[in-house]
Amino acid sequence: MMDDVRSPRLVGARVLRVEDRRLLTGSGRFVADIALDRMLAAKFVRADVAHGNLTGVDVSAGLSIDGVLAVFVGSDFADHEVRCVSSYEGFQSSGQPILAVDRVRFVGEAIAMVVADDEYVAEDGCDAVIVDIEALTPILSRAQALADDAEPLHAGWVGNAYARRALRTPRFDQAVANAAHHLTLQLTNGRHTGIPIETRGCVAEYDRGSGVFRLFTTTQIPHLIRAGLSLALGVPESNIQVVSPDVGGGFGVKAQLYVEDVACCLAARALGRPIKWVEDRREHFIASHHSREHYHSVTAHFDDDGVVQALEADVAVDMGAYSVFPWTATMDNGMAMGILPGPYRIHHYAATGTPYCTNKTPYGAYRGVARPAACFSIERLIDQIARHRGLDRVEVRRRNLLQGSDYPWHSPSGLVYDSGSLIESMDKVVELADYDGLLVDQARGRAEGRLLGIGLVAFTEQTAHSTQEFKLRGVPIVFGYETVRVRMDASGQAVVAASIHDHGQGLETTLAQITADRLGLAIEDVHVQYGDTDRVAYGSGTFASRSAVLAGGAATKAADVVADVLREVAAHCLEASPEDVVLDAGKLWVRGTPSRSIEVKEVCRLVYQRPERLPDGVEPMLEATRTYDAAPGTGAYTNAAHLAMVEVDQQTGKSQVLTYAVVEDCGPMINPMIVEGQIFGGIAQGIGTALFEEFLYDDDGQPLSTTFADYLIPTMTDVPDFRVAHLQTPSPHTIGGIKGMGEGGAIPPGAVIAAAIEDAISPLGHVVITRLPLTPERVLEYIDAAKNQGGGR
Amino acid sequence: MREINVVINGSDVRATVSDRLLLSDFIRDDQRLTGTHVGCEHGYCGSCTVLLDGASVRSCLTLAVQTDGHVIETVESLAVGADLHPIQEAFRLNHGLQCGFCTPGLLMTTLELARENRECSREEIRERLAGNLCRCTGYHHIVDAVEAALRTGGRDDG
Amino acid sequence: MKPCPFRYHAPTSMEAATGALALAGDDALVMSGGQSLMPMLNMRLARPSDVIDLRAVPDLGHVEVRDGMVDVGAMVTHRAAETDALIATNLPLAHRAAGMIGFRAIRNRGTVGGSIAHADPAAEWPAVLVALDGHVTLQSATAVRTISSDEFFVSVFTTAKLPGEIITGLSFSARFAQHWGFAEFQRRTGDFAIVAAAVACQVSESVITEARVVLAGVGSTPVRCAAAEAVLLGRAATAETAAAAAAAARDEVDPIGDVHASADYRRRLVFSETHRAISQALSPRVGDLAHA
Repeated sequence: MMDDVRSPRLVGARVLRVEDRRLLTGSGRFVADIALDRMLAAKFVRADVAHGNLTGVDVSAGLSIDGVLAVFVGSDFADHEVRCVSSYEGFQSSGQPILAVDRVRFVGEAIAMVVADDEYVAEDGCDAVIVDIEALTPILSRAQALADDAEPLHAGWVGNAYARRALRTPRFDQAVANAAHHLTLQLTNGRHTGIPIETRGCVAEYDRGSGVFRLFTTTQIPHLIRAGLSLALGVPESNIQVVSPDVGGGFGVKAQLYVEDVACCLAARALGRPIKWVEDRREHFIASHHSREHYHSVTAHFDDDGVVQALEADVAVDMGAYSVFPWTATMDNGMAMGILPGPYRIHHYAATGTPYCTNKTPYGAYRGVARPAACFSIERLIDQIARHRGLDRVEVRRRNLLQGSDYPWHSPSGLVYDSGSLIESMDKVVELADYDGLLVDQARGRAEGRLLGIGLVAFTEQTAHSTQEFKLRGVPIVFGYETVRVRMDASGQAVVAASIHDHGQGLETTLAQITADRLGLAIEDVHVQYGDTDRVAYGSGTFASRSAVLAGGAATKAADVVADVLREVAAHCLEASPEDVVLDAGKLWVRGTPSRSIEVKEVCRLVYQRPERLPDGVEPMLEATRTYDAAPGTGAYTNAAHLAMVEVDQQTGKSQVLTYAVVEDCGPMINPMIVEGQIFGGIAQGIGTALFEEFLYDDDGQPLSTTFADYLIPTMTDVPDFRVAHLQTPSPHTIGGIKGMGEGGAIPPGAVIAAAIEDAISPLGHVVITRLPLTPERVLEYIDAAKNQGGGR
Repeated sequence: MREINVVINGSDVRATVSDRLLLSDFIRDDQRLTGTHVGCEHGYCGSCTVLLDGASVRSCLTLAVQTDGHVIETVESLAVGADLHPIQEAFRLNHGLQCGFCTPGLLMTTLELARENRECSREEIRERLAGNLCRCTGYHHIVDAVEAALRTGGRDDG
Repeated sequence: MKPCPFRYHAPTSMEAATGALALAGDDALVMSGGQSLMPMLNMRLARPSDVIDLRAVPDLGHVEVRDGMVDVGAMVTHRAAETDALIATNLPLAHRAAGMIGFRAIRNRGTVGGSIAHADPAAEWPAVLVALDGHVTLQSATAVRTISSDEFFVSVFTTAKLPGEIITGLSFSARFAQHWGFAEFQRRTGDFAIVAAAVACQVSESVITEARVVLAGVGSTPVRCAAAEAVLLGRAATAETAAAAAAAARDEVDPIGDVHASADYRRRLVFSETHRAISQALSPRVGDLAHA
């Protein structure tokens, strides 16, 4: 057939990113870059005690400063709040005031808002506001929060658990009784979070004539922000436009409605002028949400062969002072309980969970949501089973990992794993990293007194989960579908408007690749738009490794509708049947007769400008909007294997990751270059989880990690070069078999590096590493324990 | 308030600034050169890095008044019309950026390195650029990009 | 994070600078490179009425060798110290330490005088100045005086510098150019040292005839370790001596714990870093030792 005029497929190729040119030349438009006419600057006065009664806010000195226009306090916005209620039974609800009214519950909580001519003066105003707080005893730990006599942090509560959850499979007790061996670990994950290099910020304006708020904000989820604002402001969604322009990294931190967004809208309405707030870095550390602080107790019940018969888990998560929108305070706990059995063939499972309230910064989503902690727990268990049974870590995994014949796998927590290549990925990473060669290097290094260790993890990443999954998680808005509108203009250009957002993931490029292929266009002729609630009706945004699958699927569906119209019009022009018309390389032609062709651009022109030439029944429109929900909505399961070698300095306890190899199977890749970038970025964040990042508090609840000198994120010298290879097992559930992969890199490094460090110090004695991050000081404590325990292998 | 005379990206600029105005805010808000980004305002993230008389500095740790009589280069100086600078092109070809927020600081830091006109190992590149935090890329592709830039003419100017 | 309002002065002579400082009074601050001061201004931890910038004062950027000492102007940047041939030859310890400060963009702007005046007990320059038996030259509107490094550092961010005085220069002894060592433990490249050790010795016929062992990050000032120095003095320059001195340093210091490290952990780092620095100082291949 006449396929010679076809353009090369863009999907699957290492297509360079279309968004790079503007970002490289400083022509991007970030929220902080926005300057509107008559715009004012806002800054917030924040609580400097963790828990207390707010007895007075004296704004007079602030107001008297030249250039300060207004100071708002809690009572000004008392009719508004941010509240997010989980549908879980027994959930205790907490409304976060826009500005604290009578109580402060964490250091960093907003108390007053100063609006001034510029940021400098606004800060002067904040300095002059006098706040009186009568300090109360803060609750800072699980023990304090859940003590029988603990004072509830919210009015009307019983205790400080946001909720309590439990699940247990039938015949669990019997499976435990039948298992020969039992092993329990208590694991601790440090509180840390995404820390994008761009802080948060927003510009709010209010149009008195139409009553419409327009909010430019650094968000991953414009439509959900609109939904939340509608509730918080008490106005219909049609009166709100949320615009999220270029955003400097999100990682979940920017997938949330924050009180500052609401405050700026209210102040813009009150003052009749645009209000801009740009979060400073110190605020970011205390007022943008935290994550990851999980405490797990896990027990494996296994047989002589190291095969796990049953798993038991208790999960507690420090959710901080308020339930956040749109996630609620139960999300991490639910996800951890659901995913803890991981990639293993475990039939019997019992789990309990307690998300609890403390006087810390509220807790939200961070890349991987609960899975880094779940992976840490299950993988540490598997490593200990290997040791207990005297098995190699690869072998014990081979015996327990799901295999091809196990799919679809119905997990004991009710998840449906659609497909995977766990053992293949593990075998391949062993080969990629030259595991045998590393063992030789390790032996040689040990002979010289060096502490070298290897860690290995194979894991699954639930991605693209939608309606079915989020229904189970108890969130008030079920994050099901995404929406894409494809429109071709009279110049033959395709404009793709999507409900997702791109803040580094390259979705602007991948959606263009998909659409260009479906419409037979060059990528230059496709323009992807996102980050504006006025462009498409609804959707959720970008989080949970779902945008490429769900928006990609919606783009495919919408583009196909437009392609059908192109074919129909072309067929009319070419006097052929639409089924015989081929669309590609910017042309439409009659199959088998490429000379009978018409340019796509010409068809587009005809549709809009020469309606008399359209076939009967075809409207002068090249546009379609479609949604996509990847039924059954339980997700497409990506899997990967990570292998690292780490060296530990015996004197200082400092760990350096020397080698890191990954085999990733996220199904057919739209753009391998972008996939690899996502993996590498995730691993670097995971190295932060493993070795560096933790929010520390003193006994009064004062945060101690409030600058980049105290909160350490990995630099270029803390991260090694990576080696990567791919498998491509398609999902049976998604268009194109595509799976998500945005979070995966960040999930296992804690488990991998902990295993490597444990292995590194094993010549000194055996210890079980159960705590992250592994700061040099903690590693030295493990080394001391190993030496005291002795009897290393 | 005082008057300063500076050269920004080759243009003479006369401006009146307050004593406490940070160079980063002067560049972004007064001059509307918003390619220079502000990520921490305490000198750690490197996003606001510009060249002052050819040397990399944190514009958040410099007062605008201190630049009176000096020469400033920002990311906007790199591309000539539609032609990307070799360093920008190397970042594009090697996927050396994701969200793009830290990128201008990395480009300017790389420009200073490229003008030294010497070979660098990947380890040296990592040491040299360790003061520029990136949260998206995991750095691997940035190192690729800088390696390529140093190899393929990123040092041909200045 | 924007500075409080202040009046900015850029005097063009030392006389004008000291005059402006005298006039501005106690709430004025002197800025040299600003790489420590600017973060404090941005965070409003420093709220000066006036900032007196030394940038336009001439003759503060010199490096000169004189009578076995090297004079370094207060406005010499870390980067200049890292690349200056006189410093490399005569003060290899200072040369090494300068290259380990922050990042290039910080070193391009931060100055030796500023670091000494700031007196962060974890910083490199104060420890180096003490190790190299240095002096600080101070000038006020009415007088010039020189003070020994052993007396200069009083407490955290506090020195013997009087209100109205400005540091104009530092002097370092060149007599340790053969036997010196510098080691520091950082969590990441460019971070402040949690513990740093600067060691300067004189060795005659394999016997240590003078030793100065100075630690950063373990007290409110750079700390001289008398016990470690006592171990070294008169001993043979051997690995055993280095280990014994490092152990003495560890046992002698009394660090405090903070968000970066507990007191115990700091003590252990004192051993590792002092050991590395002394070993380097006593190595026969001076200055050629790869940094651990």
